[in-house]
Amino acid sequence: MTTSIASVPKSSASVTSTGPGNWVEVAKFIRLCAIWIGLIFGPVWMVSWGVGELIPYLLIQSVAQSPEGLAQVQPLVDTLQFFVPLLAVMIFIPINAMFMVLCERRGLALFTVRKGPNRVGFDGLAQTFADALKLLFKEDITPKGADILLFTLAPIVFFAPSIFGAVPLLSAVTYNHPLFLTCNLPTGIFYVLAMGSIPVVALVMAGWSSNNKYSLVGGLRSAAQAISYEIPLVLSLITVCFLMGTLNVADIGANQSVHRGTDELKRLEAVQSVPPQFVFVKNPETPEAPKSAGILHWNMLGNVPFHLSEPQIAGATESGESSTSRLLAGLALALCSIALLGIYMTGACAEINRIPFDLPEAESELVSGYNTEYSGIKFAIFFLAEFTNLFIVSTVATVMFLGGGSSPIPGLLDPYFFQQVFYGIGSVLGNLGLNTGIWTILGTVPLLGGLLSWIGSVLVNLGLNPGILTFFGSINPVTILGTMLNPVTFSGWLWVVAKVYGFVFLAILVRGTLPRFRIDQLLNFGWKRLIPISLILFLVVTFLKEIIRV
Amino acid sequence: MATENLPETAPQLPSFVRSTQYAEDAQLKTDEMIINMGPQHPATHGVLRLLLTLDGEIVRHTEPVVGHLHRAQEWQAQNRTWYQYQALIDRVDYLSGMFTSWALARTCEELDGLKIPKRAEYLRVIMSEMNRITSHLLWLGTYLIDLGAMFGFPFYPFRDREKLLDLLEAVSGQRMMFNYIRIGGVQSNPPLGWFDKLKEFVDTFPSCIDDYEAIVTENPIFLKRTKGVGVMSKELAMSYGVTGPCLRASGVPFDLRKDRPYSVYPEIDFKVISLTGQGDDTWARYICRVAELRESNEIIRQCIEKIPGGTTEELRKKREECKACGKADCANCGGDLAIMVKKQNSGIRIKAGEGFVPVESPRGVLGTYITSNGTDKAARIAWRNPSFSNLSVLPELLVGAPIADIMSVFGSIDVILPDVDR
Repeated sequence: MTTSIASVPKSSASVTSTGPGNWVEVAKFIRLCAIWIGLIFGPVWMVSWGVGELIPYLLIQSVAQSPEGLAQVQPLVDTLQFFVPLLAVMIFIPINAMFMVLCERRGLALFTVRKGPNRVGFDGLAQTFADALKLLFKEDITPKGADILLFTLAPIVFFAPSIFGAVPLLSAVTYNHPLFLTCNLPTGIFYVLAMGSIPVVALVMAGWSSNNKYSLVGGLRSAAQAISYEIPLVLSLITVCFLMGTLNVADIGANQSVHRGTDELKRLEAVQSVPPQFVFVKNPETPEAPKSAGILHWNMLGNVPFHLSEPQIAGATESGESSTSRLLAGLALALCSIALLGIYMTGACAEINRIPFDLPEAESELVSGYNTEYSGIKFAIFFLAEFTNLFIVSTVATVMFLGGGSSPIPGLLDPYFFQQVFYGIGSVLGNLGLNTGIWTILGTVPLLGGLLSWIGSVLVNLGLNPGILTFFGSINPVTILGTMLNPVTFSGWLWVVAKVYGFVFLAILVRGTLPRFRIDQLLNFGWKRLIPISLILFLVVTFLKEIIRV
Repeated sequence: MATENLPETAPQLPSFVRSTQYAEDAQLKTDEMIINMGPQHPATHGVLRLLLTLDGEIVRHTEPVVGHLHRAQEWQAQNRTWYQYQALIDRVDYLSGMFTSWALARTCEELDGLKIPKRAEYLRVIMSEMNRITSHLLWLGTYLIDLGAMFGFPFYPFRDREKLLDLLEAVSGQRMMFNYIRIGGVQSNPPLGWFDKLKEFVDTFPSCIDDYEAIVTENPIFLKRTKGVGVMSKELAMSYGVTGPCLRASGVPFDLRKDRPYSVYPEIDFKVISLTGQGDDTWARYICRVAELRESNEIIRQCIEKIPGGTTEELRKKREECKACGKADCANCGGDLAIMVKKQNSGIRIKAGEGFVPVESPRGVLGTYITSNGTDKAARIAWRNPSFSNLSVLPELLVGAPIADIMSVFGSIDVILPDVDR
C-alpha cells in the first residue's frame, strides 16, 4: 500500500502550554480593567461634579453681587445637589455591571487558557455593550400559564433594592463627602442589609410565577439558602458594628482610616469640606490632612492592636490589668476579625448566588433555575442585578472590614499625600501665573484657548454683554479644578476602587476554581458550622472588647 | 416517609392529641412531583430524557427514556456496502470512533480469516489509546461541569485533548470521525514528524494529569459531592452488565485487553485499574479513569518503542531501497511492515458466517454481532454498546438521591447518547 507521507501541520500540538503568551493576556486584562474603570468613573465623576459642584458654583458666582439673587438661586442649588447621589448611582450601576460581566469573562478566560471575548470593539472591549443591546432588542416572552403580574414584577423587585441599598455606601466610600451627606443614614448598615434581603422575595416570585418546575425548585432553593446564610452574614457584620460602636457606615469607614480618640477625624472632615479655592492653594486655616492609620486599623485585623501603643488609649485605662493581657486580647481580637471576614465572605457568596453556592441557578441541575423562563430585557435586569449585588457585597466588605478608603500604609497615597501633591500642583500653576483667569488656563490648550480668547476679545470690542464677561471672569480655573478634586475623596476613591475590584476579582477566581455544593451540604454548612461559629465569635469579641476597653 | 411506620390503627388517644398527630402526618406527606429532565436539559450530555419522580428534592423513581437519537445504525448496515458502513460507524460513539471502527473491523477480519500485519496492529493500539485518552479527558472536563465547576477546571483537559485531536487529525484527516481503522488494516501511515510530536506529548502528559489531580482529587467540595454518592456494588454492576471503568471502579478487574487479549496487547506491559474497597462510588470511578489516563499514556509510550518499522521517517528510509514497491512479499512494504491487507474499495466482501468479537472501549465492552452472507452488504448487524448497559443501572443508583446528585451520578457513568440509541 502506498504510504501517505506529509508533514504534520505547523499549527498542531504545541505541547508547551505555558509561556509568554499568558503574560500578554494578563496585560490585556489589566488594560481592559483600566479602560473600563475610566469609562465607569469618568461619567459618574463628571456628572456628580457638574450637577453637584460646577453648576451650583456657576449659579452662585453669577449672582454673587446681590444677596436677593443668592436667595433665589439657593433652592435650585439645593435641589441639584439633592439629586447628585441618585444620578451617580443611576449612571454607575449599568456601566459597572457591564464592566463586571466583561471582567469576569476575560478573567475566567485568563484562568482557563482561553482568550475570552476579543472581537467586538477594540479587542473585545465593547462586547458587553453589544450584549446589552442585543438583550434590549430581544423578544420578551412570557410563558403560557405564567402569573404575568409577578413575572413582570420579579426582576424589578430583584433589582431596585440593590440600587437603594447601595446609597448609604456612597457616603462611606467618599468619607462623607458634602455632596453625599444626604445618603448618610444613621441606620447605615442595618438599612443596607435590610435592602439586601429583599431580592430573595423576588427570586421566589420569579420561580413561582414562571410556571416551570425547574424555576420553582430554583426559587425555593434560593429562599432556603438566603435564610440560612443571612444569619451568619448579619452576625458577622453586627459584631463589627458592636466593635465600632455605631451602625453608621460612614463612621465605620472613617474610624478605620484615622487613629481613634484623636482630632484626626475632625481634620479629615475639615479637609473634606475645604472651599474649592483652597484645594490647590495653601490656606493657613486649612488643617493638615491626617495620614492614613494603616492596615492595623482595619476591622479585618480587629482595629485594636495598634491602639495599645497609643498614649491616649493607654493612659485612659488605669485599671490593674497588665498591658500584656491587653496585647494578647488584641491579638485574639485580630484573629477573630479575620474569621469574621471569612464568614462574611462565605455568607455573601451564598447571598448573591455565586459559585460555589449558586444552587438557585445551578445550570447542570436546574437548567437555569429561577430565570429559566426569562428573556430579553427582564433577563438582562436579572443579570445586571446579580453583578450589582456582587459589587455591593464587595463594597460592604471594603467598608466594614478593609478600612473603606484608607491606605494600608500611612503616607502611601493617603489624604496627606494627596494634599501635599495638590499643593504642589497649585504652586506650580501659581508660579506659571496660570491661576488668574479662565482664559489663561484654557490658553494652555493652544487651539481652544486661542478660540476662547478671540471670542472674548470680540465680545469686549463689541461691548456686547459685559455681564457675561464678568460672569466668566469671576471664575478661577484652579477653583473649578478644586471643586472637582479634593485630597480626601481622591485617595478614598483610589483605595475603594482597588479594594472593591480586588474582591470582585477574588469572586471570579473562586468561580474559576470550585465546583458547586449540594443543597443539603450547603444548608448543613450554614446551620451547623457558620451560625455557631459566628455566634461564638460574637461572644468572644464582646469579652475581648471589655478587656481592651477601647 | 413517617406514615409508613405508623401502625394500621392509631392508638386511642384523647381527641385533641389525635387530631394534631394526624395533622402532622398530613403535613409531612408531600406531593410527588414528576419532572422531565431532558431531552433538552443542558446537562444530560445529549438527548437523554429522564422521567423523574421527586419528593421535594429527593428522587423516588427514575425512568430513562432513550431513543431520541436513534439513527437506525443497525438497519443502515443492511443498506450500505461494508466500505460505506465502516465510514458510518464512527458516529455510533462519537467520542471514541476508533473503537467502533475497530470492533467492526475485528469481527469482519475474524470472519474473513485475515491476519493483520504487526505495524497496523500497533498503529491501531496507538490510535485507539490516544482516542481513549481524548475520551476520558472530555469526560473529566464535562464531569466537573456537571458538578458545577462551570468555568475553571474543565478547560485544562480540553486544552490537552486538543493536542491529541490535532495529532489524530494529522493522521486521519478528521478530529472525531476518524475512519482510520479499516477492515484489513489501517488507513495510512502517520505523516512525517508525527511520532516526534506524539512522543513529546507522551512525555509531558503525566505532568498534566498531576495538575488535574492537584486541582480536583483532594478538593473538599469535590470530595463532598462524589464520596459515597452513586454507590454501585460489585453485584449490582455485574447483574446489569455494566462494563468498563464503572465496573472496574466497583472492584471487578475485568478488561478485555487483559482477559481476552487481542491485537498486540499481550506484548505490552500495562495494569488493569481496579479499585476495591474505595467506596464503589462516583469518586472511585473518577480515580479509575484518571489512572487509566496514565496507563494509556504508558501503552502509547511502549508502542512507539516497539512498533515494527519504527517511525515514519525510518520506514521511508528503509523503503528507499525497494523504491516503495508496495509488493506483499517485499520485506519493507509487506509482512509486518504493511498496514493494509485487504483492498479497499466499494466491493469489499466478507465471507459468510456470523460472530461477535468485542473490544474494550473507554466505556466498556463494545462489539458487534455480524451476520454476513458473503455479499458486499451485511445480512444483519447488532451492536453491543457499553453506554446502553451502563445507563440501565442509573435508576438503581438514583433512588433516594437529591436532584443535585443526578448529574453527579449520571456523569460518572460516562454515557454517550448516540452510543445508547444507535
